Amino acid sequence: MAKEYDHLFKLLIIGDSGVGKSSLLVRFADNTFSGSYITTIGVDFKIRTVLVDGEKVKLQIWDTAGQERFRTITSTYYRGTHGVIVVYDVTNGDSFANVKRWLHEIDQNCEVVNRILVGNKNDAPDRKVVLTEDAQRFADQMGIQLYETSAKDNINVEQMFMSITKQVLRNKKETKERQAHQNNDVVNLRKGPSKGVKRKCC
Amino acid sequence: MGSRIKNDVTHLFECFCEVAGPSKENTSPWILQKFPEHYRQDEMLSTLPDFAYPCEFDKTVIQHYSFVLTNIDSKWTFGFCRHDPKSETALVVLSYLPWHESFYKFLNCISNLTNSNKSKDLWPFLESVYNSKLPIKGCDLKINNDNGEELFVCQSPIQFQLPSIPENRNLTEYYNAVDSQNMIIIFASMLFERRIIFTSKKLYRLSACVQSANAILYPMNWQHIFIPVLPQSLIDYLLAPMPYLIGLPYSLFQNLQRNDLGEVVILDADKNTIETPFNDLENLPTDVVSILKRLLRNKGTVLGDGVSRAFLRALVLLIGGYRDALKFHQGERITFNKDAFIESRSSNMQPFLKKMLELQIFQQFIEERLEMLNAGLGFSDEFEMEVCNYHEKSSNRLKQQYKEWTFTVKREGTAFFKTVKNVTNPAVRNAVKTVKERGRDVRSAYKDFRSKLHVQNKNPRTKISTQPNSAPSSPSVQRRSSRPYTTAFTTASASYRKETSNGIQKLTNAQNLLKEVSCSPPPQLNMDLMEDLKDVLFRNFPRNNTPNSLLNFDTASTDHDWQDSVSSNFMTDDDIFNTSFGSAPAECPMETKDLIRLDSTSSIDDFDPLKSPVNNNGLIPGVGLTNPLYHYFVPLNKTQSETKNNNDLLNEYGLNFDSLSLTEQPGPSMSPNQPSGPPLPPKPANFKSNWTKFE
Repeated sequence: MAKEYDHLFKLLIIGDSGVGKSSLLVRFADNTFSGSYITTIGVDFKIRTVLVDGEKVKLQIWDTAGQERFRTITSTYYRGTHGVIVVYDVTNGDSFANVKRWLHEIDQNCEVVNRILVGNKNDAPDRKVVLTEDAQRFADQMGIQLYETSAKDNINVEQMFMSITKQVLRNKKETKERQAHQNNDVVNLRKGPSKGVKRKCC
Repeated sequence: MGSRIKNDVTHLFECFCEVAGPSKENTSPWILQKFPEHYRQDEMLSTLPDFAYPCEFDKTVIQHYSFVLTNIDSKWTFGFCRHDPKSETALVVLSYLPWHESFYKFLNCISNLTNSNKSKDLWPFLESVYNSKLPIKGCDLKINNDNGEELFVCQSPIQFQLPSIPENRNLTEYYNAVDSQNMIIIFASMLFERRIIFTSKKLYRLSACVQSANAILYPMNWQHIFIPVLPQSLIDYLLAPMPYLIGLPYSLFQNLQRNDLGEVVILDADKNTIETPFNDLENLPTDVVSILKRLLRNKGTVLGDGVSRAFLRALVLLIGGYRDALKFHQGERITFNKDAFIESRSSNMQPFLKKMLELQIFQQFIEERLEMLNAGLGFSDEFEMEVCNYHEKSSNRLKQQYKEWTFTVKREGTAFFKTVKNVTNPAVRNAVKTVKERGRDVRSAYKDFRSKLHVQNKNPRTKISTQPNSAPSSPSVQRRSSRPYTTAFTTASASYRKETSNGIQKLTNAQNLLKEVSCSPPPQLNMDLMEDLKDVLFRNFPRNNTPNSLLNFDTASTDHDWQDSVSSNFMTDDDIFNTSFGSAPAECPMETKDLIRLDSTSSIDDFDPLKSPVNNNGLIPGVGLTNPLYHYFVPLNKTQSETKNNNDLLNEYGLNFDSLSLTEQPGPSMSPNQPSGPPLPPKPANFKSNWTKFE
């Protein structure tokens, strides 16, 4: 039976309102015509299926309203997601400050989450206030990748989404291998006959 | 900041729509007409018909329910909906105000007008409601037709009042549908910020349960996705990976692909069953759960705000300790120390509290409290009062620290408060504004109360109903009415701590009771409230605890009848509403004899896990509540008032001979030498000086 996809990943996009989260989503998603529900029920998501190394990955990217009211975004918010896309506006220093605080917080509380840092609206050099070097230094310090994008001019958007997808996929496989390895260890130690190591299918 | 209710509301409602249901010709519902015409929130209007007809449902009775839309700033817009089996259309009102009872009445009025021969009156009626000023908290808005007949009365909820049964339709429905064990499981699931689905065949039950589940989290607020009624068109949003609280009509729930959902908690409100993959209830501290169970088991206390208060007490136990974790640094902002918060609680609480720190609802709660404090607004709401009940000692010390802190800030000029206001982001500024407005509300409610009493004083023959509001059939009414001067306010003087903590409630009850009295905007009076109220409030003083009467009974003689009736009403109301009225049995023999008493007098002491000493012996503990309502509680004795001035002055300069700890460097833990209250004899002046000024 042909499966619609090999993997389903749920990603979150976070950042102040006005940094262009929905533009990024619209640029990336399959169905740009569907209405936006972020203004009516405070949550919205976009879907797209991509091919990574021959595997079909279905992405659901979720967005919620009014995140800027949170000084800290706590771990319960990320629980259940595979990755987080953290967006700031390169023409707005405050949005970068918020993002830094949130990322520090994620770092402290939920180390397992895949993250990517995105500086959007990178299309007006004269208005840019968050310098690439500063952002890059911060990204290095946090051990995450930085992408500067423009949803308006469609610069780097595709690459950014593919990057986080690959990261999530790689992480998933590594985790699986590690688990299999651990399970094998257990089997060896016990010298039991059970060879049927359960491999969880996504 | 934590609140998701919009605070700069100018109209009672934003929009009224009549929505035509789906039919054979037209499969989707659509808006037939709307008021005002200029309402142009197109995205809301385009989804509104789906919320008015969320699914196939039983249309045999008239149904009221509410749905919630969330704006881009995460504030809620409430949609109130009325379905009549005789009508092809649904009536919907959108408003920022969560006043369910009033809007359901409003919808009934609209329905009456449309269904009668007076349908031409509908538009003028809507217009006059739309253009009316919002009623002040606790007051009524009345709309009459041309002939002077009353069409609609909208009562603005009273500040600081917890939802009570049966007045609050949502909570009453929730309590009837879901047993207390399951209510506690849902409470626990919400505290763990799970993905939670409620389902029911009845839309009104669905929305009522979802709304109430959030309401009993007070003082916290659900910060995540909140959709009390989810229409069929949005069913995919159940896949959201983030925490949510969603009401799903049963017809949609039946066809749900459960495997896709992942880990969710499901409450079936019709069958009163819960499915959960988590052990959230087991992970709540056991003493909190047992207290909740005990309070909710007691059928006698669920009338009134007993249910709300039970959960409030549970939250006081869980998070009230945030106050012990506040760090005061002179001249700097007050901060919250997570480690101190954990350490301040018993070891069986600590694992849960560590998790608590990771909750968005708790983070927002702390942020909100810090903003209130840093803006100099002090501690003043139902939650803080409940905390004071249980942590009297630390509360006292905290008040001192806070007073000292605000004093320094004020001495160094207002620059600091200004900075707070300027530097903080708009959300924070809004929060500050909200808090301030609340303060104003309290004051205006207060004023209003005063004016009502004033009116009453002038019209001693005005008939005041002796029916209590909460329990019209209460058998205790007549008996209480015939009681002589009762002990209600005796305990006020005998146990000041209790009195203050319940004071607001009494006042609000009194307001409740007097709501028959027309509520025009309160006139500006030059009189002091204490002058107005003393006869009523403190008439028992001399008989019991204050040998040197401070009160002048002569002034009360002319309207004696009225006062009798008010006094008895106070009692009745207290008995029914005031579940935490903590008067000791020894002080109130009459009350203990009363077998049909509905309040929970004794449970408060049972409940106190810390067994903090209760001052039943006539001592007045030194807890000054930052309740603006009690600034006036100063006996009128001349010598005492001089003492007051002196003490106040000393306090202003940081000298307090009653409590030598004032000049200590503040720390999070209690000093063992700390006096638990001011020494004898009680000096009212100290209370006043301990109270943080409201602004």
